[in-house]
Amino acid sequence: MIMTASQPEVSSDGVLTGPPEPARKNVMDRFIDSIEWVAAFFVGIVALNTFTAVFMRKFFAVTIPDYYNFGQFLLGILIFWGIAATSYRGTHITVDLVWANASPKYQRWIDVFATLVLLFVVTVQTYTLFDKVLTTRADHIVTMDLQLPIWPFFAVSWIGDVSAVLLIAIRTWRLIFHPEQVHDAKIKTAE
Amino acid sequence: MELSAEAVAVIGFVTLFALMLLRVPVGMAMGLVGVTGFGYLTGMEPALKLVGQTVMRTVTDYSFGVIPMFLLMGAFVSVSGISRELFRAANTFVGHWKGGLGIATIGACGGFAAISGSSVATAATFSAVAYPEMRRFGYPQSFSTGVIAVGGTLGAMLPPSTVLVVYGIITQQDIGKLFIAGIIPGLLAICMHMITIAIIGAVRPGFLPAGPRSNWRERAAALRDVWSPLLLFLFVIGGLYGGFFIPTEAGAVGAVGAFVIGILRGKLNREGILQSLLQATRTAAAVFTVLIGALCFGYFLTITQTPQHVTEFLTGLGVGRYGVLVLILLMYLVLGCLMDAMAMIILTVPIVFPVVTALGFDPIWFGVIIVMTVELGLIHPPVGMNVFVIKSVIKDVNMSTIFAGVLPFVATDLIRLALLIAFPLLATWLPMHMGG
Repeated sequence: MIMTASQPEVSSDGVLTGPPEPARKNVMDRFIDSIEWVAAFFVGIVALNTFTAVFMRKFFAVTIPDYYNFGQFLLGILIFWGIAATSYRGTHITVDLVWANASPKYQRWIDVFATLVLLFVVTVQTYTLFDKVLTTRADHIVTMDLQLPIWPFFAVSWIGDVSAVLLIAIRTWRLIFHPEQVHDAKIKTAE
Repeated sequence: MELSAEAVAVIGFVTLFALMLLRVPVGMAMGLVGVTGFGYLTGMEPALKLVGQTVMRTVTDYSFGVIPMFLLMGAFVSVSGISRELFRAANTFVGHWKGGLGIATIGACGGFAAISGSSVATAATFSAVAYPEMRRFGYPQSFSTGVIAVGGTLGAMLPPSTVLVVYGIITQQDIGKLFIAGIIPGLLAICMHMITIAIIGAVRPGFLPAGPRSNWRERAAALRDVWSPLLLFLFVIGGLYGGFFIPTEAGAVGAVGAFVIGILRGKLNREGILQSLLQATRTAAAVFTVLIGALCFGYFLTITQTPQHVTEFLTGLGVGRYGVLVLILLMYLVLGCLMDAMAMIILTVPIVFPVVTALGFDPIWFGVIIVMTVELGLIHPPVGMNVFVIKSVIKDVNMSTIFAGVLPFVATDLIRLALLIAFPLLATWLPMHMGG
């Protein structure tokens, strides 16, 4: 597979373009992209939901029913799906002191170890969240205004967490057997 | 053999550092150690229950929505190419001075940081935009990269700083007040760095050549490109200051406003929109991961009573409240050699915050002080996150060259830190007069 590892992450206009992508994408790459797009879609929806609520309240003195609850749960969905994408792209906040001073061979093994720990933690998190979805459903917890059940929102969030487990497993597999297919971001904008 | 809570705390911290040094994501390492330690002391079943509750509560906290919203605003504006326009506008006004390109870089970094909220994004962006120009006019490599590295740190102080948001969430302080508290120290940083450059230019003739002078028509044309995003920033932060919005709403209004401005100016196409959404998502997820980890780790700290032990130890030293403050700041400077700003804040603030409040310091002021201190870690060796980023964008420069260029500005930052400690009103005056 042809990869573009040397592709810069910032354009000549100073626009950050994110980690490099493969020149030709296989089914797995498209699956990874789809998960990222779900998260990205929800960022836009959350912004629109909040903006509309503010606009209606400030200019028309109208409160949209359940906008607050929708904002909360959509935020949850975007974060879980986003964690899936972030875990695969290697854009988590990490301490790179040892890694940066290690040889490429040891860098790879450090990455494999870190990804295995990540896989373990996210798997446990997914298990505990499933329990949370079930208890929320059993307790019939509903939204404030429209009295809608909230467990479906939690379920969609949980599916994002399941996606995270899948993507981290793919990342682990690629790190061990196809390291040339993994290109982490050098510029992490969380700082 | 049953281990005491203190022994578990020590083992927990050692394990945490080992995991972080092995590049396990900071949030995940904190979550793992926190939950395992909590589970050891209370039982695994309540510990696992805690994971589900903490994770879901954190990601569905509406007030935390401030993070993705401001990130999205920053992404829309930066994808629209504001960095080059800001640099050009600043350059038309000061480019003809000795060191003018450096001063323009600091000014443009300040403007960009005020929109993006990210130090690393600011440093990366201006490595591509300002560095080639400075080199074209014969500025030395170390000075050019040093200016960009230090200009990037403005992102941590000026609103909407992501680091300040994280501090606010961990310490349960008003995020709006923290944003506003960062304005004067941020502007002070811009002024002091500009003065430093002007002094270097005056003291070493020929070191920082002057560029061509622009006429007023060129200046007006350059301002036409930047006024709308800057107006949006003023509207959003002004709305926050006046109590018109809460931070999450301000972020959402800013994001939609930036989107509309980008579309109207013809700078935001379909690809740019998708790129912005992706960028905001990735960064927001990374920040939330550390927040979840920090909150899980917080339960571990509580059950082992680590903050109380640290408070008792530090207040018992008999060095006075400012002596303790200096010790804490020195610890941050040392930690800055090991890890970057966000990791430091997440890991240490839950422990030192009770000490600081017990000593009677203002929590908002301390947030500003702590962010200023960890900012230094972004530019001093051996970690210097901004330096790494500049190196990754500008291939033909050594790390030592960048660190050499940063030195005069580190001195400026230390003076500014001393000023902030001597005059806390610099940080607390604006938040005291906030509306709402």
